[in-house]
Amino acid sequence: MHHLTSDNFDQNAREALRDPVLHGALRNLADNFVERRRIAMSSVDDWEGLRTRARAIKDETLAHLDEYLLQFVENAEKGGVKFHWARDGAEACRIVLELVKASGAEMVVKSKSMATEEIHLNDALEAAGIEPIETDLGEWIIQLAHEIPSHIVVPAIHKTKGQIADLFVEKVGIEKTGDVDVLTGTARRILRQKFAEAKVGISGVNFGVAETGTILILENEGNIRMTTGLPQKHIAVMGIEKVVPRFTDLDVFLKLLPRSGTGQRLTAYQSLITGVKKRPDDEGPDEIHVVLLDNGRSKMLSHPVTRQSLACIRCGACLNACPVYQQVGGHAYGSVYPGPIGAVITPQLMGLSKAKQLPYASSLCGACREVCPVKIDIPELLLHLRAEIADNNASNVKRKFSERLAFKLYGSMWSRAGRYNFGTKAARVMQKLVVRKGKIGKVSGFIAKLVPPLGAWTAWRDAPPIAPKTFRQQWREKLRSGNGN
Amino acid sequence: METKANISNSSAAREPIIASIRQSLAASKASDRVHAEHRPIVEYYSPSSNAARSILSHDELVGNFCANLDLLGVRFAIVRNEDEARDYLRKLIAASDIKRIAVSDSEIVSDVAAPINDVEVISSASKETLFDCELGLTSAQWGIAETGTLVLESDAERHRLTSLVPPIHLCLLKAEQIRQTLGEILELIDPRQNRTITFITGASRTSDIELTLAIGVHGPRELHVLVLAD
Repeated sequence: MHHLTSDNFDQNAREALRDPVLHGALRNLADNFVERRRIAMSSVDDWEGLRTRARAIKDETLAHLDEYLLQFVENAEKGGVKFHWARDGAEACRIVLELVKASGAEMVVKSKSMATEEIHLNDALEAAGIEPIETDLGEWIIQLAHEIPSHIVVPAIHKTKGQIADLFVEKVGIEKTGDVDVLTGTARRILRQKFAEAKVGISGVNFGVAETGTILILENEGNIRMTTGLPQKHIAVMGIEKVVPRFTDLDVFLKLLPRSGTGQRLTAYQSLITGVKKRPDDEGPDEIHVVLLDNGRSKMLSHPVTRQSLACIRCGACLNACPVYQQVGGHAYGSVYPGPIGAVITPQLMGLSKAKQLPYASSLCGACREVCPVKIDIPELLLHLRAEIADNNASNVKRKFSERLAFKLYGSMWSRAGRYNFGTKAARVMQKLVVRKGKIGKVSGFIAKLVPPLGAWTAWRDAPPIAPKTFRQQWREKLRSGNGN
Repeated sequence: METKANISNSSAAREPIIASIRQSLAASKASDRVHAEHRPIVEYYSPSSNAARSILSHDELVGNFCANLDLLGVRFAIVRNEDEARDYLRKLIAASDIKRIAVSDSEIVSDVAAPINDVEVISSASKETLFDCELGLTSAQWGIAETGTLVLESDAERHRLTSLVPPIHLCLLKAEQIRQTLGEILELIDPRQNRTITFITGASRTSDIELTLAIGVHGPRELHVLVLAD
């Protein structure tokens, strides 16, 4: 099993910062995807309106998830789809294994699916003597390298062309090449044989439509169409949050997802699958099985703040926009889901105790919230999780009450304008006690207890002092004096 | 073969999961009310397509569709009838040294492909045979002008593998089937009727290696579209 180090972000990040190859790759990502997304966004009339609609659809779905999920199941069953329910990853793996074994398959082809990464399906298949073949080019590369994805859309973004060429030389015996078309052609040649032989194909699901029982999967390569179209049995692993109410809701998400993810107006292929073939001589698999995965998701519904995480459509825009991800890459997060969304999902899926550094792996700059196509307030979520960590530490007598209080205040200060004003005013008064030579120096003793976040912050750097008057005060005064400048 | 025991086993978690969803939703009721002030759920879907659909003429739709095919690197031509389509096919066969063609079972595809006798034309090709064909010929039921997208329905023709496996895909589309927006198309297609609907926008592609675009990773390397104007 791949060793996940989600509670070791600090150490991982330090190592990543010293890796020049990684930096080149990440700069390429930021330059490319951020710009492409910006251009693609401008090709729709009302981007903000679309985001608002998408979020409203997700909110509506999640607030009635039991109903929409059951409606989806009922309608898909009419088309002959078989459903399986999994409370956790182990249960999902067991179900998939049984389905694969029933086909007598020793090998399965897989298309990229974050849900199957989350449950470590490949490890479970290998342990049972079944060979899983990842067929997405990026996923195949990292499978050959025995790594985990470092990005949810471009899994091998951390690897250079040269590293990939070396890997292909070693693992599949090609001549060394620097030609991307040759590398891609190698994958095509080898994986086509696997597609032709495979009895079982395993995929994820992007959206499940309650109204019609349709599953929608998006891609660019064609490997998902192969995986879902060639083998006799198709198994789809689907998080229970992937439901949308109506077929026409797909309009909104098909506009947002490709533009946000890869900067495309539409990916090359969408497969809309609503049941198994009608007649024996029709195309497609004889059986379609959908494994519905909970694995901590239903618990996230219990609070509106954490529930937002379930609106995520896995586009990866928050990774590309994040100044922390841009510096340290995906592996530093030590989890299947990296970046800002990973920092909020991972602690909720794995338990806070196993990933308690991740909610701090952010400067709360808000770039992620800005780009999120479904308007997930990731900074709000991070603060919520930080507060929970502080709460949990209450039982640990070494942690001071003041620290917990500080985090709570810190969190609620940012989320309420009134309190923000009060908080900055209070800080303005208190800083008089600590300002030295025009800077806020290291805070210690009594003051550190009074203003706890400043303790850790100022241990590393000087902060400029807070202005004598707030911006709002100055603004109001300027307005009153009739001089906006 | 699958046993009944397996199936009942794997749906044993259904009730606990639904119960857990309901429990969590009930627990959040109090704070939901507060939150709803910030994010009201009002008529949350209105098709964005209505404005665009009425103002475009038939020619404008074809023009938009072809302009977007061009942006995607798709080779396309507007042809007046089946004969012209067949001429295009013959030229493609000669230019790409094609020996075997897989064809779907739609009427227009049969009309175009039937008189072709200098190469092997295979309908209802088996999986194995498909991997040896150099060209797949299908039609599409709809076109989306704003993205240059082809929409293929499984009830209309056996399109799934013919449009995917051979390295060249040639697709025929009647001009009258083009609409401007995705929203319009989603209202026209029926997923209950068609067990698989496939949207195709350009040739197979990937940017997985250093974000460098490579065409034809798993699916067709070339996509050709013939728009049949009346």
